[in-house]
Amino acid sequence: MKLTAEPPMDESSGAVKARRLGPGFWLPMGWIFLIVGVALLAPVLPLKDPTDYFIRPGERPPYPPSADHWFGTDQDARDMFSRIISGARVSLAVGFMTVTMSFIVGGTLGMVAGLVRGWFDRLASFLFLVVLSFPGIVLVILIIALIDRSVLTISVVLAIGGIAPVGRLARAATLSFAEREFVIAARTLGARNSRILFRELLPNVVIPMGALVLLGVAAAILAEGGLAFLGLSIEKGETWGKLIRNGSGSRVLRDSPWVAFGPITVMFLTLASINYIGDYLRDFFNVRETGLGQ
Amino acid sequence: MRFWGLRVGMLIALLLAVSMFTFGAMNLLGDPLFNILGPVAGDTENPENLAKIEAAKEQFYLDRPLPERYVRWLGDFVTGDFGVRFSASGQPPVSEVIKERLPRTLALSGMAMTFTLAIGIPWGVWSGSTSKKGLDRLSTGVAFFLVSIPNFALGVVLLYAVGFRLGWMPVRFDAGDPFWQRMHQLVLPALTLALGGAAVYQRLLRTDMITTLQEDFILMARAKGLSRRHILFRHALRPSLFSVVTLFGINAGAVFGGALIVELIFGIPGIGSLFVESIFREDFPVVLALVMILTAGFVVMNFVVDVLYSIIDPRVRQ
Repeated sequence: MKLTAEPPMDESSGAVKARRLGPGFWLPMGWIFLIVGVALLAPVLPLKDPTDYFIRPGERPPYPPSADHWFGTDQDARDMFSRIISGARVSLAVGFMTVTMSFIVGGTLGMVAGLVRGWFDRLASFLFLVVLSFPGIVLVILIIALIDRSVLTISVVLAIGGIAPVGRLARAATLSFAEREFVIAARTLGARNSRILFRELLPNVVIPMGALVLLGVAAAILAEGGLAFLGLSIEKGETWGKLIRNGSGSRVLRDSPWVAFGPITVMFLTLASINYIGDYLRDFFNVRETGLGQ
Repeated sequence: MRFWGLRVGMLIALLLAVSMFTFGAMNLLGDPLFNILGPVAGDTENPENLAKIEAAKEQFYLDRPLPERYVRWLGDFVTGDFGVRFSASGQPPVSEVIKERLPRTLALSGMAMTFTLAIGIPWGVWSGSTSKKGLDRLSTGVAFFLVSIPNFALGVVLLYAVGFRLGWMPVRFDAGDPFWQRMHQLVLPALTLALGGAAVYQRLLRTDMITTLQEDFILMARAKGLSRRHILFRHALRPSLFSVVTLFGINAGAVFGGALIVELIFGIPGIGSLFVESIFREDFPVVLALVMILTAGFVVMNFVVDVLYSIIDPRVRQ
């Protein structure tokens, strides 16, 4: 959300800002904990099998929500509630893997570029520029079409698109710290670049980057959903995107909207929570320069 | 001048690199011969099939080395000939297919961008200048909702609510010609694409507006007795144009990318569905042409935004 505005100064942020995370932070955080917890614990929770067919004799599926099937069933009489949870496992995995990879690679490139400057900086900056001036969706579709559609491939491909914005932020943050007194002091004491990078700069750069991790997760989950609509999402298993697509066919949507609206609601709540927390943390830490999650 | 020369050079270099990458990847990872002839392509024992293979190789230039084919393709491409499809007949030519599909996607994107501006700017100006706290809070909530909901999910929600429940809009695209007589069918998908972007404009403009309205020149304008509308749109909106242009550039790319997906929800046979179909059929000349067109569009769009920047703010050129 690159262009998310900061709240104007004449409003809630006020003159003295309490350095405490309020309920506006913990409510969405609670949802994230809930969804991640349920996704992690899905194998041990007493859930219906997401691939089982609960056909009732004499009735045509999809069945509407009931005490038995909280979110109803899909066209094949499979339980939507457990399918959404099973989809959460894959969607969240893609989100977290993508962010981990793009932050490790982009963060390292950006920080080294900001610290050593010179030709490496020019090269890295050029690389970021090239990646940013290329339409991400085309690259993603192309690579996925040519290789395969496993969780890993899709995460790697999405992560490539994330390297540039993450790297730019890491570089900018490093630059702003690299000339500060504590870094000069460390250098004067004879610290090597690697020590300065990890012990002096990293703890400072991690804070503004941390607020972006969540937005990166949201962007990756969103991208997976888009791919699902193109029919190019992960082949095996369920994802939120695939579930929504499955419920969006004309007839299903008209006659049994719950098939699409269950996953839409869960996906929206998750993305909204992530965005809200991201905005909140960004205000909290006052991170200005971002380019993530366009 | 040197600055622009450099930028244009980079633009062309990027397009060339993309075309080489795509062309190489498609030819190395896929088997064009198989796409043209089907199972026959593997059968070199049978002399009759072998003759077919040889003929196809010659027809599609597959017997030439890769660099030569690339140069040949590039030469054709820049003159508007996108080559033939990888199918037994090679008909219809790729340019024909794209000529049929592209206008629909462009019309959808154009309409979506117009909606984005038409909704986002007045909304932002209003919410930045209103004194009604309750309404403002509501509009901020709506904006947050629209920013957070993925466009494909919004598409499904609108399709259900407006298309099926209210029945105000047609729910399927009826691909008759000339398509501009059927533009009203694009309203719902365009709205799907536009609302998220409009919410982003609203958020940005609202903040800018609140800051700008406290400036002395606004006080001056007010003291002169100018009307509210004149102050808002002539005096206060102007300083925000820079961010609007930035946003427009980013948003244009997002709208075009989103159009590929939203098309599929509403069943519009445009570039998005063509892209997906060709990928699954491994119709590489079509994929290649689409990749180039999409990339070129995106890159040129970015370039135009940069030019606009430097017109608004000459400092950028340094």
